[in-house]
Amino acid sequence: MTRRPLLKTLAAAAVASLFATATFAQAPNRPQGFPSQPIEYTVVYPAGGGMDVTARLLAKYAEKVSGDRIVVNNRTGGAGMVGHAYLAQQAKPDGYTVGIVANLLWGDAMLRAQGKWAYTDLEPIAYVNSDALTWVGATEGVVKGRALKDVLAMAKDKPGTIRVATVPGSMWEYLVEQLETASGAKFLRVPFQGGGAGITALVGGNVDVAQGFLAEYRGHLEAGKLAPLAVAATSRLPTLKDLPTFNEALGGNDYVWNVIRFAVVPKGTPPDRKAYLGAVITAAMKDPELRAEYAKMGAYFDPSLDGSNAVAAGLEKYAGQEREFYRKTGRLK
Amino acid sequence: MDAITGLATGFSVILTPANLYYCFLGSLIGTLVGVLPGVGPLAALALLMPVTFVLTPVAGMAMLAAIFYGAMYGGSTTSVLVNIPGEAASVVTCLDGHQLARQGRAGAALGIAALGSFFAGTVSLIALTFFAPALTAIAIRFGPPENFALMVLGLVCTLYMITGSAIKGVLMIALGFLAAAIGIDVVNGKERFTFDSIQLTAGIELLAVVIGLFGVSEILANVETLARNTLVADRIRGLWPTREDWRASWKPILRGSGLGFVLGIVPGGGPVTASFMSYALERRIADEPQRFGQGAMEGVAGPEAANNAAVGGSKIPQLSLGIPGNAVTALLLGSLVIHGIQPGPLFMSQRPDLFWGVVASMYVGNVFLLVLNLPLVGLWVQLLRIPYRVLFPLVLLLSVVGTYSANKNLFDLWVMLGFGIAGYVLKKLEYDLAPFVIAFVLAPLLEQSLRQSLVMSPHGALLLAQRPASAALLVVAAVLALLMFRRPAIPKGVPS
Repeated sequence: MTRRPLLKTLAAAAVASLFATATFAQAPNRPQGFPSQPIEYTVVYPAGGGMDVTARLLAKYAEKVSGDRIVVNNRTGGAGMVGHAYLAQQAKPDGYTVGIVANLLWGDAMLRAQGKWAYTDLEPIAYVNSDALTWVGATEGVVKGRALKDVLAMAKDKPGTIRVATVPGSMWEYLVEQLETASGAKFLRVPFQGGGAGITALVGGNVDVAQGFLAEYRGHLEAGKLAPLAVAATSRLPTLKDLPTFNEALGGNDYVWNVIRFAVVPKGTPPDRKAYLGAVITAAMKDPELRAEYAKMGAYFDPSLDGSNAVAAGLEKYAGQEREFYRKTGRLK
Repeated sequence: MDAITGLATGFSVILTPANLYYCFLGSLIGTLVGVLPGVGPLAALALLMPVTFVLTPVAGMAMLAAIFYGAMYGGSTTSVLVNIPGEAASVVTCLDGHQLARQGRAGAALGIAALGSFFAGTVSLIALTFFAPALTAIAIRFGPPENFALMVLGLVCTLYMITGSAIKGVLMIALGFLAAAIGIDVVNGKERFTFDSIQLTAGIELLAVVIGLFGVSEILANVETLARNTLVADRIRGLWPTREDWRASWKPILRGSGLGFVLGIVPGGGPVTASFMSYALERRIADEPQRFGQGAMEGVAGPEAANNAAVGGSKIPQLSLGIPGNAVTALLLGSLVIHGIQPGPLFMSQRPDLFWGVVASMYVGNVFLLVLNLPLVGLWVQLLRIPYRVLFPLVLLLSVVGTYSANKNLFDLWVMLGFGIAGYVLKKLEYDLAPFVIAFVLAPLLEQSLRQSLVMSPHGALLLAQRPASAALLVVAAVLALLMFRRPAIPKGVPS
């Protein structure tokens, strides 16, 4: 154990030199005697998925910035519900548990938690990245070469003929529902267990339109096997500048369905530790290498959520919009 | 790049001391993971993935892949020795493998399993090397109707696994279906049989079910016979397969390799499905099907070859399209992403060094595994001399650790215990447990693909007959089901 302080000093020195050369905003202010054991990044989805890879990359760069030991732990079950409930109800608020979560947390809290816990039991400390849902069309069959508006018009003329891959009870379905309500179109919804499975079905000619994240379809896009129609984000994707947003294509303002990934701590975590943990992640996110890794995965960085105040306020706003949608569609009373 | 030059590139990449070392390490860990009940390849890969970040992508992928196929080698060991499958793909191996062990022929069964795995692994690699692009094109066309037809065929095959009363067996299949229905309905997102429990919303964990039904129940059953000190203390006959064993095994190994490879490629397949379909096939075409369940070498050789071949097959959609066929391949793809490599249709042409390096590493890894496993057979067989009172608490401990480590969810341990007690009672009442597990694995995909097909189709169920591949699979399933009536599935005690 006598070697540990030395190692820490070395790590701190390495970090200090990093800060001297790179353009990091500020060195994280370390609370006295913290951490004295490894910090757990809890992921509520299985190892190998998008959320897990995001957290593992983040842990790698956060270790580099702070010199702390960080372990990623997958607490899975109930399609994320078990892990969310663990973070909100069971995890000790001592700063050694950080949840790397997505806004899917809100749906779980509002629709499925039965009042046992609320999303406010988890306090956002830092923003990580975002992924927006994209509609992609097949390069053969009925939607070949058509724009989003034409596809919607077709689905209105001949209701139930265009097959759209969807994931029941999730934003995949909500987006289809929103488009149908607004345009009068009627799609044939083919259910899948995840976005990736729908993309595969599209490439195999089993559906006409699929919805997914850039990481799920980029390989096929580069190979010319599918054509993106529109993206459900507030602005165009940095990597696909030619692809219009739904709002642009249809003249709306609320066609926004994305995954926002962020870090939370259980409510009651000491303020100095909370601030430190958030600062470490924010500093790690400043590393251009990590940004590049996330960009390769297809995720983008939304500058409006950067910083500890912005993330709390911004997420609260989005959570409010989501609650509004659930109320409007009768999912939430 | 054609296959030969590609493979040559691959070998030049992999044949460095460091890469060989990591490939060997992966093979060793995979063998251990397979042998230890409860600790499956998925948990091991999740634990070791961070370690590979410091390696080069080739070394990391070679090591992780070796853990996956190494586990298929090791998985048969505890199935044969103590009737507890090391992982789900080895459930079938219990049926005849353990009977062989009781007859003192554990060494022969393990030897056949190891050599069959080696043969199948290598054959599927050769097929992967030369036919990957062509097979990819077929795999991607495999849609919901084809998946449904494949699952129906799988279900019919399950009938061939019933060793006792046919009615009891069918009842277990039905129960497997019901247990699989727990959770969120995939078509409309509604919860079923969850009783407002958060834990049940994603259904019950397969690993916990398998370890409970086979591991815990076996231990409970053996507690009664503690007086009888060890399993086969004084009658281990012959450590190696005899000429007779080979004569019985080589054809099942060949058939298992082909079947496993094909089932590995298609989305609904994989090592588990491959192993029990091979068992059903062998039992169907055997001259004396009544020997199955009593210690038939074919019942070990076929399934063990099939589950290894399926691993090779599952690499095709994974490497050439970036489509994960199961949770383990999803994890392997995830680790590629962390290394900054985009899996997808262009992977093979953009990173030929990596694609062929991984393929070449699998050739090498299979040789490692054979060299590693054959000498171990002697050691494993000696384990049978360990008294129950020492061996079984250890196995139970490993089961608990393994089941918990997969999801870090305490509820899974209760599931394991519950199924352990249920399994014990069902065994006493002479119900077959394997059909339950197989139905549990098949049911979600069967239901999902049927309902997807019906949603997609303008003509209802007719779609299933209109698509050639699904029609062909359904015909095979119907023929197999009809043949069941010609030769009764209740051979116990019935002279042929």
